[in-house]
Amino acid sequence: MSVTEYDVIIIGAGVAGLTAGAFLAGRGFKVALVTSGEPTACLSTGCIDVCSRDHNPLIGIKELPLAHPFHLVPEKMIRESLDNFQTAMMDMGIPYTGAPEENRLVLSALGTFKTSCLVPSTMEAAPQNTKDSIHIISFAGLKDFYPSYIISRRKNTKFSIYDAGVSSTMGIASHFEEKEFLESFIVWLKGQNIDEDKIAFPAVLGLESAAEIVKTIANRVGKPVFEIPTIPPSMPGRRLFNALKDYFRKKSGDIYWAWPVVGIEKAGRLIEAVVTQSEGRPNSLNARAFILATGSFVGGGLTATREAIIENVFNLPVHVPGPRDTWFENDYFSFNHGIGRAGIIVDSSLRPAGTPMENIFVCGGILADTEILKNGCGHGLALATAHAAAQSCMEYIR
Amino acid sequence: MIKADVIIIGGGATGCGIARDLALRGIPHCLIEKGDFAAGATGACHGLLHSGGRYVVTDPIAAKECYDENLILRRIGEKCVEQTGGLFVRLPGDSKRFRELFLRGCEEVGIPTDVISSTKALDLVPNLNPEIEEAIKVPDCSIDPFRLCMLNIRTSQLRDGIIFTRHKVTEIVKSHGRCIGIKATDQATGEVREIRGNIIVNATGAWANMIASLAGCEVPMTLSKGSLVITNHRLTNMVINRLRPPSDGDIVVPNEAVCLAGTTSLAVENPDKIGIESAEVDTIISEAGRMIPHFNNTRIIRAFSGVRPLLKSKKMDSHEISRGFQIIDHTNGMYSIVGGKLTTFRLMAEKMVDTIMASFKLKKACETAEIPLDGQEELSGYPLSKRLADMNDIVCECELVSKKEVQRIINQTGTRNVGDITHRTRLGMGPCQGGFCTFRALGIMNDMSVISPEQSMEMLRGFLQRRFRGIRYALWGDQLREEQLVEYIYLGILAMEKPQ
Amino acid sequence: MIFEHCIRCTVCVENCPVLRVNPDFPGPKQAGPDAQRFRSDREKAEDEWVLLCSQCKRCEMACPCGVEPAQIILKAQQRYGLEHPRTPAHLLFANNYYLSALGSLTAPLANRIAATKVGKKIFSAMGIATYIPFPKFRFRKLSWKKRTPNRRSRKVAFFYGCFINFYRPDIGRKIIQLLKSFNVDVVLPPQWCCGLPALGNGNLELARSFALKNTASLSNYIDAGYDILYSCTSCGLCLLHDYQGIMDIPKAKKIAENTYDLHEYILRLVDDNYIKPQFQEVRRKLAYHIPCHLRALGIGYPAAKLMSLIPGLECEILDDTCCGLSGSYGFKKSNESTSIQIGNRAVARIKKTGAGAIVADCGSCRMQLGGLSGIATLDPAEVISEALGITLVKKRKS
Repeated sequence: MSVTEYDVIIIGAGVAGLTAGAFLAGRGFKVALVTSGEPTACLSTGCIDVCSRDHNPLIGIKELPLAHPFHLVPEKMIRESLDNFQTAMMDMGIPYTGAPEENRLVLSALGTFKTSCLVPSTMEAAPQNTKDSIHIISFAGLKDFYPSYIISRRKNTKFSIYDAGVSSTMGIASHFEEKEFLESFIVWLKGQNIDEDKIAFPAVLGLESAAEIVKTIANRVGKPVFEIPTIPPSMPGRRLFNALKDYFRKKSGDIYWAWPVVGIEKAGRLIEAVVTQSEGRPNSLNARAFILATGSFVGGGLTATREAIIENVFNLPVHVPGPRDTWFENDYFSFNHGIGRAGIIVDSSLRPAGTPMENIFVCGGILADTEILKNGCGHGLALATAHAAAQSCMEYIR
Repeated sequence: MIKADVIIIGGGATGCGIARDLALRGIPHCLIEKGDFAAGATGACHGLLHSGGRYVVTDPIAAKECYDENLILRRIGEKCVEQTGGLFVRLPGDSKRFRELFLRGCEEVGIPTDVISSTKALDLVPNLNPEIEEAIKVPDCSIDPFRLCMLNIRTSQLRDGIIFTRHKVTEIVKSHGRCIGIKATDQATGEVREIRGNIIVNATGAWANMIASLAGCEVPMTLSKGSLVITNHRLTNMVINRLRPPSDGDIVVPNEAVCLAGTTSLAVENPDKIGIESAEVDTIISEAGRMIPHFNNTRIIRAFSGVRPLLKSKKMDSHEISRGFQIIDHTNGMYSIVGGKLTTFRLMAEKMVDTIMASFKLKKACETAEIPLDGQEELSGYPLSKRLADMNDIVCECELVSKKEVQRIINQTGTRNVGDITHRTRLGMGPCQGGFCTFRALGIMNDMSVISPEQSMEMLRGFLQRRFRGIRYALWGDQLREEQLVEYIYLGILAMEKPQ
Repeated sequence: MIFEHCIRCTVCVENCPVLRVNPDFPGPKQAGPDAQRFRSDREKAEDEWVLLCSQCKRCEMACPCGVEPAQIILKAQQRYGLEHPRTPAHLLFANNYYLSALGSLTAPLANRIAATKVGKKIFSAMGIATYIPFPKFRFRKLSWKKRTPNRRSRKVAFFYGCFINFYRPDIGRKIIQLLKSFNVDVVLPPQWCCGLPALGNGNLELARSFALKNTASLSNYIDAGYDILYSCTSCGLCLLHDYQGIMDIPKAKKIAENTYDLHEYILRLVDDNYIKPQFQEVRRKLAYHIPCHLRALGIGYPAAKLMSLIPGLECEILDDTCCGLSGSYGFKKSNESTSIQIGNRAVARIKKTGAGAIVADCGSCRMQLGGLSGIATLDPAEVISEALGITLVKKRKS
């Protein structure tokens, strides 16, 4: 057994975990983040959804049901978390546009509009209505994007196809990072003599340098350029994750990849360590406090058997909407499925309910009553609750 | 107005088999089906081509029919029938007397059997319960029921048969007490078609009584709901049966890259209002788990129900009602053909067409048992591992369906329905149940300009709604995780709107 | 049945370096859990494209569901290799150990021939790529080093691996000196190739034969109170993961539990207060390219931790890209283009840091990155030795 000591250990490398980690590491604490695989954020649109209930997300939050975890975070902290996020992303080279009082629209790959609050700069120029004429550039063989979806719903839209030589999302994005490729592409694009108002792309304009690449293309062609989020593999999600991860590391946080937590050690009301597997010996990571940010079902934080829903790390009591038959309604589009409310209930200090343990804090998608899709509050909730949990944790340690 | 000698209502195995037989005997015909092919019991069954073993003890006549048809279908459907073989496994506690009756019954019917030790059985099927006492090998086979219907229809299409799917029969036209035709509504456009014919064949399975009543006739039936679960992958390469009197959950059939397990048997009234229940899912899993222990932990990707159309009988347990079939002559130009099972569809069709030929006073003999099924050259065939050779341009990655295949189906059938593509290619029938490939398939349809913008969103929504019904009761563990991801994709990333 | 857990999220696809550049490789999801549903032990293997997987394990690190795609693909590679004729290149590299021994025995001559045009043509004809120089054999292998008597309380048996033994014994000697300076006894146990080249080139049997011999030898030393050390992270992963895994070696668990990465071990010495290293200032800017197999070991980045203790040292961690060589993978002509493209991307990242030298624990990575960039490469042990003022006492040069 190898033993390592930290002030705080965070379990889960999603938006919530990495944000809480950066918060604490940036204030001088020794922080380690343990994860079993990459988070759901890698597959997301990369946009920070705060609350889609109202045009002003902060007002929308006030209208959420009482049980919603957003109510545990004071408005000042919500604003702070969004502000810190934008500062961090600017630092890491993927600036985000937007303000906490105003939702904005992102054009989806189906031609519908997605409501979000902070969007990557590559989506800043997305049309906010149906008035702008758009020219979509797609790529030969790219099977995860079909301009015809959008064209069939917007009258003033045309498209062209460019042969990038490769046809996967990752392949094309990787090619855009190469100077020669970008140059030949821009030359071709200029030659298309596009006269629509804006130019749209599936989100494949580079891996880490997308913000720069979009700016370059827009400048050279003289028209606003924006990305449209794709089904996974998702480049904007990937960029978000990489940026958060590198930011955490920049603040001297440690990350341990592919370390599934297989056990915990406790003494009285304190968790002393989490035990993880590795190839050689089990590792015991000791800390004074632990933050659980393992996500919902997709993230792996919760598992449902035929009989129950289980929290996978600390075995915390999970709020379950009812027996298995009540988890879903008959209508797929009801947005009211009971399962969206399953998760961990926390108190105002973001400590989990129903357990005597004092040094566990919970944030992110694993919280109960989030109903992320219905309320349009995914990453925004993660940022806000991560701040709250980290703050609570910090006060506890000091 | 369309005219044909014979009108067939119902596009299940029976209806399609009749269409093929009529085509080969040169009789002009028209088939109408309210959904896609195999919309009824045919599409909701195991896909098992019985050796007949299951019936030797309770219904030896049915068993013989099954075995004979099994041999015929293996011959005429070489590329679409997978000769998996089957095992009847005896677990500790299963009646030895039944075993004796079984073996004797097989011998009398002529079904070849091979009694093998548990060691040998475990060698053949490593996932079997190591506690089995012994197993009896029989020539069970597996087939995709949609494909079976498709291939039969091919023959009809090649010989100018007229086929209408997604057309619901609303009226049977009568004149002087005789049935002379039907009126059917195109479900997509609302257009009403009228078809005139000399004979109408009611091959609608569970809906036989409803259709018969349109002509003022009756078909007394017992409707029995049967449910199935589908696993993520092949847990067995052979059909596994339980060596005991037929009961719930005692069959597991490998089919393409999945397994089907079931079934249950509950009486129902209305074939359009059925749904699987959690308790049924639990029963099937636990029974299958007795034969293949991994079932208790394996990932289930789909759970659904179908309705068995059984001849009305005084027996209460519908497992015991004969699966034999009956041709009812309503003496007004309409016949109903009821009962039967997938394995004997060809025989049922033969008998029906013999009756029709007699009534037309024609003498052409049935050739459906001799001539191989048309259209097999388009199939990728077996073994499955051959399909891994070409991974180019795959649209459905779970089931290895290529873009070319999808485009071909769209062109060939002129379909406006993703479900039609699914039935013909298995697109969307794998673990993610169409999570990614539906978006792609509809995208291809958009690209080919075969649907309008309103249709496209409607179709996507409709598809997701229908799909949900089939997976809702299988949502726990990995499948729930999968489902939450698919939800994020359609309702999050793709921002599908709530329907108005 | 682990592949049942795959939810098709494509996070593995986002991470695969081969998929990005080679459209013939369908990616870890399709090659692993998707294809596995169609594979059967009783049918002929038709999936030739599985050979394109470089076994970098990045997919496994990324998978949030524990699917282990690389492992599924490795087994499929073995099956394919058994049923189809092997190319000369595969045969050559599977027997790398024997050939290197031969090369080393005839050292200066073998190197000269390999460097000539004729030599290169022969390599080409055999399907071996020559875009970076073939490593030079050394006559004075490390294994010739005399054993030293064991008197100290900490003693290790050093598993040096083929790269150090045949090509860079000087690094091996430095490591031994470094350990000695920490008051640790070092012996060189009888050892053979770890088996990874054989495994990676479709010869499981040969790999197992090496593994059985190594296990027996190392097991004796463990019983005598030695810890086993490795410095090449690929050897380490093979010993810890593949011996217990695909090679199914009895007693492999015992080896795994008692085997450490060199820097992991040194950190332990520091944590246990056995040593208090006084690092001198080293004014260098380094780019630490984390070998994919180090990420896969699940021990974090111990060398990075050690180097962070060196005053004046600027060390940027780059763990987002694979170098592309993957042992013998890039040396096969059929993979040449793939390997170069992947490598160039890694080099581009390194060049962006402005570092004067590249650090990597794995000899393969050093060969590739050094060869493609022209920048000097170092083993972390060399940097640490420098900071401790340890220099090699040079004996007769071969």
